[in-house]
Amino acid sequence: MEQLFNIDFKRINSSNDKEAADRKKNFELFLKGGFPNKKNENWKFSDLNNIISKNFKNITNNDDYKLDEKIETIHDFEHNKVILVNGSLKSCDLHFEEKEKVKIETLKSLEGFHHQSNNNLDYLNKALSIGGFNLEVQQNYKCKKPIIIYNYFTANLNNKIINNSNKIRVSQNSELTLIEYNIGEKSKFFKNTFEKINIDKGGVLKNIILQKTKCNGYFYKNISGIQDYNSSYQNFILSSGLKFNKIEIDMILEKEKSSCYILSGLNLSKEEHQEIKTQINHLAPNCKSYQKIKNVLESDSKGVYQGKIFVKDIAQKTDAYQLSKALILNDQAEFNAKPELEIYADDVKCSHGSSSGSIDEEAIHYLMTRGIELRAAKKLLIKGFLNEIFDNIPEEKIRTFLEKSIAVQIDEIR
Amino acid sequence: MNSEELKNQEYKYGFTTDIENIKAPKGLTEETIKFISKIKKEPKWMLDWRLKAFNRLKVLEEPNWQKPKYPKIDYQNLYYYSAPKSMKDKPKNLDEVDPKLIETYNKLGIPLNEQKRLSGVAVDAVFDSVSVATTFKGELDKKGIIFCPISEAIQKHPDLVKKYLGSVIPISDHYFATLNSAVFTDGSFVYIPPNTRCPMELSTYFRINASETGQFERTLIIADKGSYVSYLEGCTAPMRDENQLHAANVELVALDDAEIKYSTVQNWYPGDKDGVGGIYNFVTKRGACRGRNSKISWTQVETGSAITWKYPSCILQGDNSVGEFYSIAITNNHQKADTGTKMIHLGKNTKSKIISKGISAGQADNTYRGLVDIGAKAKNSRNYTQCDSLLMGNKCGAHTVPYIRNKNSSSTIEHEATTSKINEDQLFYCNQRGLNQEEAVSLIVNGFCKEVLQQLPMEFAVEAQKLVSISLEGSVG
Repeated sequence: MEQLFNIDFKRINSSNDKEAADRKKNFELFLKGGFPNKKNENWKFSDLNNIISKNFKNITNNDDYKLDEKIETIHDFEHNKVILVNGSLKSCDLHFEEKEKVKIETLKSLEGFHHQSNNNLDYLNKALSIGGFNLEVQQNYKCKKPIIIYNYFTANLNNKIINNSNKIRVSQNSELTLIEYNIGEKSKFFKNTFEKINIDKGGVLKNIILQKTKCNGYFYKNISGIQDYNSSYQNFILSSGLKFNKIEIDMILEKEKSSCYILSGLNLSKEEHQEIKTQINHLAPNCKSYQKIKNVLESDSKGVYQGKIFVKDIAQKTDAYQLSKALILNDQAEFNAKPELEIYADDVKCSHGSSSGSIDEEAIHYLMTRGIELRAAKKLLIKGFLNEIFDNIPEEKIRTFLEKSIAVQIDEIR
Repeated sequence: MNSEELKNQEYKYGFTTDIENIKAPKGLTEETIKFISKIKKEPKWMLDWRLKAFNRLKVLEEPNWQKPKYPKIDYQNLYYYSAPKSMKDKPKNLDEVDPKLIETYNKLGIPLNEQKRLSGVAVDAVFDSVSVATTFKGELDKKGIIFCPISEAIQKHPDLVKKYLGSVIPISDHYFATLNSAVFTDGSFVYIPPNTRCPMELSTYFRINASETGQFERTLIIADKGSYVSYLEGCTAPMRDENQLHAANVELVALDDAEIKYSTVQNWYPGDKDGVGGIYNFVTKRGACRGRNSKISWTQVETGSAITWKYPSCILQGDNSVGEFYSIAITNNHQKADTGTKMIHLGKNTKSKIISKGISAGQADNTYRGLVDIGAKAKNSRNYTQCDSLLMGNKCGAHTVPYIRNKNSSSTIEHEATTSKINEDQLFYCNQRGLNQEEAVSLIVNGFCKEVLQQLPMEFAVEAQKLVSISLEGSVG
């Protein structure tokens, strides 16, 4: 494991000596276990150790945060802009919002990021994290426009590792739509992000993760959040195009009437591997969770979904639903699912469904008899399959934009 | 009703038979294995096979990923062989069998006397570590069907045993399977010759009697080309404060166009209301559909045992082969179950179906854990899985852990699972028509399980239905 790395701790700023010592300690702890492999139940379907050692050598940490080209922004709808370069906060423009209502700054301390046992990447992140952003929306403030985080990666990141950590707090009765827009196609690097989310009473956070173009990046993102009374969290994962991507979400529905939605539509092509792993913890009565995961798998791609619903004994009247569907277009492609239920309360409505298979022949036949040629018919069905995810996005402009970007991906399917 | 009567009602098979035993010395050693092999008059190859497994066992570790945790088992403090003394020289016919044993089986409702049997079920009765009697042997012989204790098969049909034993569950499998391979004592052996339909249900009845004894039986069923067999398995044990280990291996082999139907009604002693005692039922059951168009169907009704931990599986090797799994697992009081199946699709056009019903009451924990794996070469394969859980009260748990893997584009997998409690409207409807709460619950639960109960052979279905009701007694209100 050690020979894989060439880490220079001098490149990372530590605020004090203790932090610097902690980083070294955490790095040693990481080296002891290395990258997780398939023997680890969480990584059963995605052997990260194998993936990393096959694709990387002499991994170093990055200390270059200079923007090397102009970022092309989205013009489809008005939004606030936040720019991250190689994981570090560069600039922000929140001019649509009232002053002092939305705050964003560089994250200075990893306080509040609890240790995750059985997750070695947590040690790695704590050892090498360069910070990230700390975003807070003040009480009773509903953001007027969405915030887009332009997550830009430069072209000189080959064999680099980026570790960052973000914090998001949506205070009481406030609302935020946050779009993470990843840009950067050239270099091959590994990104390890930990994100902490707090949604206070009545707060609403909508999160969309999107990939601009295909990218050589290998991403891991760990989201852990706590939800208060009547809060709502919605996450749309549309990050197709990465070589490897694993998004792990651990949500705690701590107080009554909170709800959590996780929706994903992924379209994976050659040599791509994506995994979504969720754990929704229902700790209070009357909460709702809803998960819908859709994968279109081409070529030799691999899609994985591991979802767990946990319902504590006092969490009566829980309504939890989980659905994963996969369209397998090629014999080399693979879909793995592990939809798990762990339930200790009796008055609940919990169910899950999972299906995988090829495109419905009869539907193709139907379309072809109406004069639509095979390729177009297939694309139409794939589009219909994925578009269902967007039905839950009420803002029309955002929805159109997302549909447009998915359409571009579908067009590439042969 | 006094408390003693109540206890008997809960688990009516909890009596012990006072009988003199021959036991192997305590402990898991090479000597114990040699002792078992010697007393069974086994040939050398069998002993070598056992020792090979024993050597393998030394490097294996007990698995610990399961949901129900249990205190560490002291394998050195167990008897691995226990047999009634009267069985030392094998009785030639039923008249020579110790009357006490016959009485035990009569008490269990398994009369070994053939004349008394109304229905055509051939029984192999296993008491602790030996087979007591096998009925209807003559009639089966005429058709060329072999149905005998496995210890007898090792002596009389070594070629068949050598060829198939360990071919589905190799000796290098997981810890408990390997343990069984090293120390297995008895069990049933079935061979159905080509193009033969077994004229009656074959059945094995397992009884644990001796204390501090583990039961390690091994069953091997081979259905040759174009044959059919339906096999039933039942089990009970006395009520004791200690936990007893039961680690059996069951191997099924279905060749071209053959079909095996394997039904289990498992009613080991579940422990008392506070979770003291009961059997640890750690069983490995696996069937291989080797031939084209072969079929293996598992049906299980799991009501007993303190911990049930088993996954009857199908390896669908032959093209067009079919695997089925129907299961009811009921846990009450402190019982724990972690059960399910594995369907491994290797051949083309293979099909599998999984119907699992889990019911938990009291402080019990019930887990469905299963794997559906469709390989890259298993074109046009299909799986349908449905697992439903019913919870009674908020001190119990119901869990579902399916693993689903699809590696080709022409196959389809569908999985559905639900968890709920008994519908209030249904209860109300039944109450209104004069059923009391307990009767109503029993009726609804039986309806919930119907899909699985239907799969059981007639003789078993009635017993199973009663068991379902009894197992849930006291869980309502």
